[in-house]
Amino acid sequence: MDTYFFLVQLLNGVQYGLLLFLIASGLTLIFGVMGILNLAHGSMYMIGAYLAYYFTALTDSFAIAVIISSLIALVIGLLIERFLISHLYKRDHLDQVLLTVGLIFIFNAVQSFVWGNDPLGVEVPSALSGSIQLTELLEYSDYRLFISLICICVAVAMYYIINRTKLGMLIRAGESDRAMVENLGVDISKLFTIVFAIGVVLAALAGIISAPIVSLVPGMGEHVLISCFVVVVIGGLGSIKGAFVAALLVGIVDTFASVLIPEISSMSIYLLMSLILLIKPQGLFKS
Amino acid sequence: MSIFTNKSEKLFIFFFFAIGLVIPLFLADNVFYINKISSMIIIAIFVMSLDYLVGRSGLITLGHAMFYGIGGYIFTIIAPEYETVNFWIYTFYVMSISAFVALIVGFIVLRTSGIYMIMITLALSQMCFYYFADSVDYGGFDGLFIYIKPETSIFGFNFLDLNNESHFYYLCLLSLFNCFVFFKVLMKSSFGRVIDALKENPERATALGYNIFHFRLIAYVIASSLAAYAGYLFALQYGFVNPSMMSWEVSATALVMALLGGLGSIYGAILGAFAYEGLHYVLEHVTQYWMFFMGCLIILMVLTLKNGLSGLLSNLVGDKENE
Repeated sequence: MDTYFFLVQLLNGVQYGLLLFLIASGLTLIFGVMGILNLAHGSMYMIGAYLAYYFTALTDSFAIAVIISSLIALVIGLLIERFLISHLYKRDHLDQVLLTVGLIFIFNAVQSFVWGNDPLGVEVPSALSGSIQLTELLEYSDYRLFISLICICVAVAMYYIINRTKLGMLIRAGESDRAMVENLGVDISKLFTIVFAIGVVLAALAGIISAPIVSLVPGMGEHVLISCFVVVVIGGLGSIKGAFVAALLVGIVDTFASVLIPEISSMSIYLLMSLILLIKPQGLFKS
Repeated sequence: MSIFTNKSEKLFIFFFFAIGLVIPLFLADNVFYINKISSMIIIAIFVMSLDYLVGRSGLITLGHAMFYGIGGYIFTIIAPEYETVNFWIYTFYVMSISAFVALIVGFIVLRTSGIYMIMITLALSQMCFYYFADSVDYGGFDGLFIYIKPETSIFGFNFLDLNNESHFYYLCLLSLFNCFVFFKVLMKSSFGRVIDALKENPERATALGYNIFHFRLIAYVIASSLAAYAGYLFALQYGFVNPSMMSWEVSATALVMALLGGLGSIYGAILGAFAYEGLHYVLEHVTQYWMFFMGCLIILMVLTLKNGLSGLLSNLVGDKENE
């Protein structure tokens, strides 16, 4: 394996890892603050991708599609939290899991009703359709770099919001002691609504920006969800820093495994997770 | 000492098995429905084992389908391809091998608990899924076929022919009944009491000198080998096994059924499995988008029913003591 080939694979791995981080951070944020395991998180990724497809076709502009789709995802997130999840805070974890399973069913049905079951694709926006020439034979697409850039921006923004703003302070407080935050007079239900909506938008955004490089098929959400679980568990539930490190690790391991040891490539990330859990049952960064 | 917890359970079990015993007589010429009900009974066995694990032991798993699949695969792999084998002997083989697998898996997953356990069981079952899906020897995604069904003679006396749909149906019904009685007896035994105590208050149980890990491991092994038995029956019914048996959707659906029936009530597993599968069957025939209505019903149920269908039944009958 020569250096450039290695470099391209590494870039692919990092790009996949960053995308995973975008989705997993929403999942881990919702869990960390609200204590809810949102199984419908993958469905939001799927809905994001399909919305991007729909609005790109409608408006002929990927940029407008990104904005409209994100806004729709935000509204969906707010509605789900207000009308469904908010009734279940005092209930068992399992009831919440069951509710989100119900949501998966609904989103899958909506997807197959509106867009059908045939694979769909979104064209890469023309401004980013070029690629960078690495050697005579190897090149790297601009759009993949763009995805990585967006993910890094989101990661930085999240770091800033969580560590430097009032909202972030409340999120951190909610993670460590929910009852105390409530006793101090903070409207916790409003915080929950905001956090849930942010989480949903993050998942949808990942779906939107990856729409041009993946094929849109039914069940794409579930596949991503399982990978996210692996990321979140390796990183430590509720830890966003952990999710970042774990997502890069999973992205790189997955990419290299499929190149170097294709026989076990689909098992590789689960093996990685089992190994890490054996050594550190709480994940790398316990929150 | 009665094995029943309350009146509703007694009523349900009585009616269910009474109807179950006679229903093939009315469906004699309709093989499709007999097969359908057999498959629902097999699912009920699988859900019952999960219900014990989640509802009684408090060990939440999203990877139970792994053992369902393993049960089917073990039989298909160890039984000679073109030779008739004995059902009971292979039941023993399947259950003991899967119990051994469960012992090892349990040793790993029981180190964690709560949400972590949900995720690690999920990951291990996905690993198993991909192992079989990628393996050339075991047929990859297409899986393996069973060409000859086993015979069921005991000491030369053969009373069930597994190629006959009604006979297979009765085997499933008998298995479900045994499973139910087994779990109820287990719950009343001192082992079952300790398991209940562990769920209520692990710290206190430890203080009383019980080794939590050992008890949980035993419960895990029992539930997993029964799930494998259900998978074995599934493989015999359809004559094939494939990796989709252990996909995470199977585990999640089983969990939905257990919750629908009312967690920890054991007989609720039968209610949940039949309600879900029955509804699925009806909706599927009405609309291609059955998932939408199924999803809405699940959500409605979560928001309104706290103890699932068995809780609802209990209220209707007017049970005083409701566990």
